[in-house]
Amino acid sequence: MSIKVNETPVRTSRNFSINNIKLDFDIPDQIGSFENIECEAFNESKTRSLATDAKSYIAKDLDFKSPISENVKTKKITYGNGKLLEENVFKKANSKIRIETEKEEIKIKYEFDDENLELVNQIEIIGNKDANIIIEYESRTENPCFHNGIIKTIAKKDCKLNIAIVNLLNDKSVNFEAIENELYENSKVKYTIIDLGGKTSISNYYSNILGEKADNDLKTIYLGKDNEIKDLNYIAELRGKNSKIDIDVQGALDGNCKKNFKGTIDFKKGCKKAKGNENEFCLLLSDKAKSIALPMLLCTEDDVEGNHSTASGKVDAKSLFYIMSRGLSYKEAVKLIVKSNFNKIIERIKDNEVKEEILKEINRRLN
Amino acid sequence: MKTKVENINRNIYDIKNKDNYEFKMEKGLSKKIVEEISKQKGDPDWMREIRLKALETYEKLELPTWGPDLSALKMDNIATYVKPKTNLNSSWEDVPEDIKNTFDKLGIPEAEKKSLAGVGAQYDSEVVYHSMKKELLEQGVIYTDMETAVREYPEIVKEHFMKCVPINDHKFVALHAAVWSGGSFVYVPKGVKLDIPLQSYFRLNSPESGQFEHTLIIVDEGASLHFIEGCSAPKYNKVNLHAGCVELYVKDGAYLRYSTIENWSKNMMNLNTKKAIVGKDAQIDWVTGSFGSRVSMLYPMSILNGDNAKTEYTGITFAGKGQNLDTGFKVIHNGKNTSALVNSKSISKDGGSCTYRALVRVNDRAKGAKCSVSCESLMLDDISRSDTIPVNDIRTDEVTFSHEAKIGKISDKEIFYLMSRGLSEEDAKAMIVRGFAYPISKELPVEYAVEMNNLINLELEGSIG
Repeated sequence: MSIKVNETPVRTSRNFSINNIKLDFDIPDQIGSFENIECEAFNESKTRSLATDAKSYIAKDLDFKSPISENVKTKKITYGNGKLLEENVFKKANSKIRIETEKEEIKIKYEFDDENLELVNQIEIIGNKDANIIIEYESRTENPCFHNGIIKTIAKKDCKLNIAIVNLLNDKSVNFEAIENELYENSKVKYTIIDLGGKTSISNYYSNILGEKADNDLKTIYLGKDNEIKDLNYIAELRGKNSKIDIDVQGALDGNCKKNFKGTIDFKKGCKKAKGNENEFCLLLSDKAKSIALPMLLCTEDDVEGNHSTASGKVDAKSLFYIMSRGLSYKEAVKLIVKSNFNKIIERIKDNEVKEEILKEINRRLN
Repeated sequence: MKTKVENINRNIYDIKNKDNYEFKMEKGLSKKIVEEISKQKGDPDWMREIRLKALETYEKLELPTWGPDLSALKMDNIATYVKPKTNLNSSWEDVPEDIKNTFDKLGIPEAEKKSLAGVGAQYDSEVVYHSMKKELLEQGVIYTDMETAVREYPEIVKEHFMKCVPINDHKFVALHAAVWSGGSFVYVPKGVKLDIPLQSYFRLNSPESGQFEHTLIIVDEGASLHFIEGCSAPKYNKVNLHAGCVELYVKDGAYLRYSTIENWSKNMMNLNTKKAIVGKDAQIDWVTGSFGSRVSMLYPMSILNGDNAKTEYTGITFAGKGQNLDTGFKVIHNGKNTSALVNSKSISKDGGSCTYRALVRVNDRAKGAKCSVSCESLMLDDISRSDTIPVNDIRTDEVTFSHEAKIGKISDKEIFYLMSRGLSEEDAKAMIVRGFAYPISKELPVEYAVEMNNLINLELEGSIG
């Protein structure tokens, strides 16, 4: 079946092939259970396994400060990856987690294996108090994995959230992720997206920045190879006075990989003194890779500052020469340069174990 | 306090002559109408066939699903062909009084006297005046209206007509190809370099009508040309349509500078298409000022086919009340070491809407391509709108590409700085707006045409405060 996903908020010429992405893909009809979910308060040493088919396990078994439940609201999202995938989540989710944050550091890890190949999940994060949350998807199997998820984040007044999404699925997998945020007065949401895995990885990120002085900071790395497809569609709507959005995307493409980056900053009426910055840099490691970027600025308010920039190019010859003259091979040198570009973003993740897994995966993908 | 930039004084552009025509095609579009236009024009068979094929394509293609709202455009209410009561004249004295007065007021003959190598003037659907300096004729330069070119240079026209812009490019190109009338044909032979520009001026007087002029310019190997295009129309309450087509061929080693001052009235739908094919070591520079029209969808395109081909785009868009100007630039890098430099600015005020919509495509064989895009938007109030929608499509690693865009209002710091140097707030703001527009306005060929000079002064440097 051919499906169109990840529509941009504003259309442009069809000939540019960027308004959406067409995929030949069948959304699985039958979704089994998904039992390999681990939840951990990562700076303490509490680890529990969660099986989402075991009802009301969370409140009983776990001793988190933040109430965790399955009580996730099924409410239509504004953009997302399209109607079919959204319905798939609302009707067939095999994992639902709602976290009402207290001061805590929580890691949720979804491990795919031969028994758990399909994950359709919903996560709702209600930001009451400052919290660090890491959500990780990892394959422990060579078989194709399917992930389709919706993450909804609400950052209440003065709340600071630091959320990382880490995609370490295997090279045969398909990954769809739709993220939607609401930011209220003086809240700050730092999102870090590590988009490494998957034959096809489609992500939609929408931030509704409503409150005065609300601040959203999104940093992403992606790394594509072979015939992989990456489609990133990031939308930020600024409504609050003095609100802020900062988007920084760093990527590298190898092989015949195709990447679409669509970033929209929309200054809505009333967002006086709002600031929006958007930057994408794509390192091209092969002459067959395709990099398409559509960085949009939409503006209906005069008293704002909006900037965007995108750039693409190959690895800097001088840097390569320098590193190779120190005895490293070409491949090692390229790896080092890619990792140095990614490093400042990886460093935002608070858990050392996850950081190491990410670096290991980057090394593997660049071999 | 907000900066106020006064609206342009459009008095000279808004002069309406009586709708005095020899022939006006019935409104709407049908095979019969296209055949009638073809008959009126005395088209050869091949041209009639192109028109009929284009009509079929027009019927098949859909309206764009993006960009400004075009629902006000009702093709059934538009007359596609209006022949003014005169033939093509080569002496200004022979042009009928009312038409002559209009162009006199727009400053066309004066501009010709002062600084142009040749002038063409189109009134409604027909070119009414054409002249060129004698020495250029002797060098083999051809500058004439399109109908004459179809008759006298059929081989060249056949080879190039609707080849750079294919008929099925979009709906309004198909419409254009079906009902085109008037426009300019320029051929600059190998090695001939024109020091002073040629200019064509398009004026649409008749209400509820369309102008579909076709401009075909071929700058042969090693030659060089500066071509200026100006457009205006008086204001009517009914919708007028402009769907012109510009095809430019810049052969190996040639240079073309194409300047446009578009100042259509605020009832005009300006759905124009412009493309250039650029050969090896050749260069095309576009300078575009978009000030008029109710809706504009205009995206000039450079196709850099030859190795080392270059293009520069310098454009300014100024949208006031009731205007939705969707403009931008498209460049396709096909040749090796091709380069593009894009500099776009826009100003929106009084509820006007500016969109910069663009494409940069670097194809896989364009090794060593370089492209740098910069666009800046200035919002003068909070009821206006300014959008930037650029697509950057890179298909090779041997490329240096960068894109930057900025959006915002006049900076308080800059005002403070200038005021601390003794300027009043109004003067400071005026100076900043002028400074914002300067990199573009200095490129506009104001020195060549009095009319354009007036326009720039009024629109950008007019009374602010």
